[in-house]
Amino acid sequence: MLADLIQNTLDGLTGGAAYALLAVGFTLIFGVLRRVNLSYGAAIMFGVYFATWTSLNFQVGLAALAALTIAGAVLAGAYVERLCFAPHYRSRGSPRASSGSIAAMVASFALWMQFEEAAILALPKHLYAFPPLHAGEPLRFGQFFLRVEALYLLLAAVAVCALLHTILYRTRFGLAVRAVIDVPVAAQLAGINVSWVFVRIFALASAIGGLAGFLIAASHEQVTPMLGMWATIKGMLAMMLGGLGSLPGAVAGGLVLGLLEAHSQWFFGPQMRDLIAYLLIFALLALRPAWMTRWTSTRSAS
Amino acid sequence: MDEYSIGVLTNIGLFSFLALSAYLLLIAGEMSFGQQAFFGVGAYSGGMLTAIYGVPLPFAALAAMASGALVALLVGLPTLRLRGLYFAMATLAAAEMARILFELLHFQHEIDGELVGPDGTQGFRGIRWVFERGVEPLDYLAIVYSLLVTVLAAFLLVERSRLGVTLRSVGADPELAASIGVNVNRMKLGVAAAAGALAALGGVLYAHHNTYIEPRNFDIMLGVHSLAYALIGGLGTAFGPLLGVLVDLGLLEGTRVFQGYRMIVFGGLVAVLLLFRPRGLLDERVVHWLRARFS
Repeated sequence: MLADLIQNTLDGLTGGAAYALLAVGFTLIFGVLRRVNLSYGAAIMFGVYFATWTSLNFQVGLAALAALTIAGAVLAGAYVERLCFAPHYRSRGSPRASSGSIAAMVASFALWMQFEEAAILALPKHLYAFPPLHAGEPLRFGQFFLRVEALYLLLAAVAVCALLHTILYRTRFGLAVRAVIDVPVAAQLAGINVSWVFVRIFALASAIGGLAGFLIAASHEQVTPMLGMWATIKGMLAMMLGGLGSLPGAVAGGLVLGLLEAHSQWFFGPQMRDLIAYLLIFALLALRPAWMTRWTSTRSAS
Repeated sequence: MDEYSIGVLTNIGLFSFLALSAYLLLIAGEMSFGQQAFFGVGAYSGGMLTAIYGVPLPFAALAAMASGALVALLVGLPTLRLRGLYFAMATLAAAEMARILFELLHFQHEIDGELVGPDGTQGFRGIRWVFERGVEPLDYLAIVYSLLVTVLAAFLLVERSRLGVTLRSVGADPELAASIGVNVNRMKLGVAAAAGALAALGGVLYAHHNTYIEPRNFDIMLGVHSLAYALIGGLGTAFGPLLGVLVDLGLLEGTRVFQGYRMIVFGGLVAVLLLFRPRGLLDERVVHWLRARFS
């Protein structure tokens, strides 16, 4: 019993690290733009497919594969940003902001469908192998084991957070970002190019998504078109558990979601695992909406 | 008419109910990612009533609408005070819970030596009430469209009435609406229940058209599609969502011109359209202009 609990916790950390990394990218976009990018997962999937396609046709190493995934995800992200989000920047804060926000969200979903169909057209089989990150045995601690990929994912999450913290609090660009988050109009008046801040934040979030996509595909050792929906849903759930809009919260939310899933899957099976995660989100929103709005209460997210 | 065209036309009618359900919430200022759940509730409850208990379809459809409205009220009560994105996420979570509950639902009875009823992820086959009564596809098409016309007429009547104006005022600015004496909460709950019943009506008709349903019919893809239909068609009139369905199911899927590329074409179309018209083709401005022109 106790042994199961410990092993589940280790498995949960593995899944949770992946969710944390996804949630960080999601949170970056939401925290700055106050928009939900539904095609975030699909853009990641596009990057992973780009790398897979290249590795099927040419001989490439792991590092090149990672670079290709990130490049593909950033490319796809740029497409999403230009088509769905850039045109609606001007309407932010105006009375029509809410319809702009809905339009951006639905448009990003439309591009999600494009990415999915494009991926299926390029690589029509349901499943493709992805080169593993680590071919050897998992780490053993007595009777327990932990996959090495989990360490890579956790390390990447910590490194990404440290990098983001440095950017946000130690650079002039970070100062501009924080000004835009606090009061966009004042930031604009102070001479900050707000849409340029958005573009760079979007590129940064897409690059993080690409890194997450590469590590996840390499630890699953396979890719399917379903990766897009999976990444979007899990990233969004983890972001909401972390309270929407806080980077440390996103990491914590990802880890909590991973642990919750590992334990509930063990005790109640895979369907109950998903049910419990959704139930938790629903209950949080219904009973404690303040939990979700505490980072964003100065401005509504509608 | 050949069978294929009848099938396409029936589908357009069926999904119009769902698009209208999403539209009703949108004009009241709420974006729901979960209308597919009520579509599913209607499909499952109506299908179980006719297939297992032998209830005639009209009564089963009424019961399905009532259960759709009830579930929508249950979801709406704790969540309708949430705004914008938060409401969207809460409805998404509720709808995914409903889908998983359909996956867990096993309720089979032996009827004429055959097991009938929902069987978890294996789906629910044998919803043959329409088929067994000898209702021809063309007759079923007529039934679907006469119901749709009734619903549409109700929409148009309401939109021209005081109730319709109140509804749009709640959608445009709830605080302002409350300050002139509109009971915003009651209004939104009523809208949620009506939208739930409408989606459930679409669901029960869908189940009896297909005779087979499974939980993943009612996943998030369906919900966001219905939102997209309402949004590209336009939020100015109830004809808007119908136009949205017509463009996707009629033009792109029905004509089979873009086979294999349909999602790429439809996705691009939606994104580009929303660039120029964030409230759809037939938005309030166009509808206003048309009304001033032709009346």
